[in-house]
Amino acid sequence: MTRSRRSFDPGLPWIRTALLAVAMLAAIPAAFAQEAAAWLARAAAAAQQQNYVGTIVYQHGGHVETSRLVHLVELGNEFEKLVNLEGPAREVIRSHGEVRCYYPDAKVIRVEPRTFRNAFPSLSPPQQTALADFYHFRQAERSRVAGIETQAWVFEPKDGLRYGHKFWADPVSGLLVKARIVDERNEVIEQFAFTEIAIGVKIDREMVKPTWAVAPPDWQVRQLGPDEAELNETGWTVTRVPPGFTKIGDGFRRLRGARQVAHLVYSDGLVAVSVFIEPIGGAPHPIGISRQGGINVLIRQQDDNLVTVLGEVPAATVRQIAQSVARR
Amino acid sequence: MVMREQISRLMDGELEGAEADAALRELKNPDGAASWVCYHVIGDALRQCGGPTPGFSERFAARLAAEPTVLAPRQKHSPRLPFVWAAAATVAAVLVVGSVAVSTLDPQPTAIAKAREANGVRAAQAKPQPVSPDYLLAHQEFSPTTQIQGVGPSLRAVSAGAADGRP
Repeated sequence: MTRSRRSFDPGLPWIRTALLAVAMLAAIPAAFAQEAAAWLARAAAAAQQQNYVGTIVYQHGGHVETSRLVHLVELGNEFEKLVNLEGPAREVIRSHGEVRCYYPDAKVIRVEPRTFRNAFPSLSPPQQTALADFYHFRQAERSRVAGIETQAWVFEPKDGLRYGHKFWADPVSGLLVKARIVDERNEVIEQFAFTEIAIGVKIDREMVKPTWAVAPPDWQVRQLGPDEAELNETGWTVTRVPPGFTKIGDGFRRLRGARQVAHLVYSDGLVAVSVFIEPIGGAPHPIGISRQGGINVLIRQQDDNLVTVLGEVPAATVRQIAQSVARR
Repeated sequence: MVMREQISRLMDGELEGAEADAALRELKNPDGAASWVCYHVIGDALRQCGGPTPGFSERFAARLAAEPTVLAPRQKHSPRLPFVWAAAATVAAVLVVGSVAVSTLDPQPTAIAKAREANGVRAAQAKPQPVSPDYLLAHQEFSPTTQIQGVGPSLRAVSAGAADGRP
């Protein structure tokens, strides 16, 4: 066979091989980007479209918290009930895009009129490129999580500006049953994991109703918003954006009730960093850097403004962005 | 004023190279040192670490003076040079303790007062709250990795460990 091919094609076969290899190498990033983006889209769709109920353990910075989660999709509407099982009771109810957080000890209900989990936005071409350029995406081991034979996937960062991410997915539904963020020393800084879960089961509407159907009379209901993000340009920018991050949001929004806050968002396809800029008020503000699970937060004063930068990235990345916020 | 800001930035780890050197030189001046102490006291108060109570230096000095002197058995054949070094080390240690005592001697009444005030303001909150849940929720709307996990946004926002899980 080899011999006959040689006789038909006498001219430098290694060049063809080399060209083919180059072509394949060139095609890898593109194919990779699509594969990673497609995988993310499938996981997001599963999280939004499946019915599931289970117990979830959230670990971060030495804390371990256990919660009960019920998620129901009915006629395209998402309903969700999350109740923590330890410490002061907290209950989060999502229905028809509205989120209500119940704090029975403080007798407060916070109402968020927006959906904070919209349909998963398909990644822009720069985001897809960033995924390929700044992460190694690979299939990892199969292992049992919450009684399910899961498939693990890893996004391994290629530089120190990002964390590593590992996800364990139910191969049937695509739903993530475990997610972990690790730092550069491979230490877990945040982890969500179901300890038991039922996917695709029938769920009754009663199971996603709040414990307090009607707000008790002595409770305070804090209506936040309306939070229509005005998507005009804020006039602010970040001059030294870390490599791989592109701007995906720029607008004003109302936070803490009334204050108008400029909000810029940068993403590398897997994570995002938010920059909030607001006029400094009279109240004292904690300034400095802190970590909440996998999210680093840096708050600093810049002239008469308070700049808050936060994201699922290492402190250095947050700091670089915070230090290069400027008027355009 | 500019230098104060530089000292604040130094504490936040924002300075490098020549800027850091300049800020460090400033710390040798009484004004710079006072700002350094003041910012640390304020920072401690905001983080609820507590601070030195008035008269700390005096009490510390008194207790130090009351400490019994430990008389270690003299080593036989102790060579001379190490003794000199030990003496030098003792002098150095005294100098260090002395300078620490001097720098904390007048424990910046204004700084303490400011810290108290800050403490009072924040006393209503159980833990320091670095960022309001509003910001987390607004952010997570855009975060791809959060959106693929159904539960992340709510959990982080009401987590008792993160922020203080308060309304």
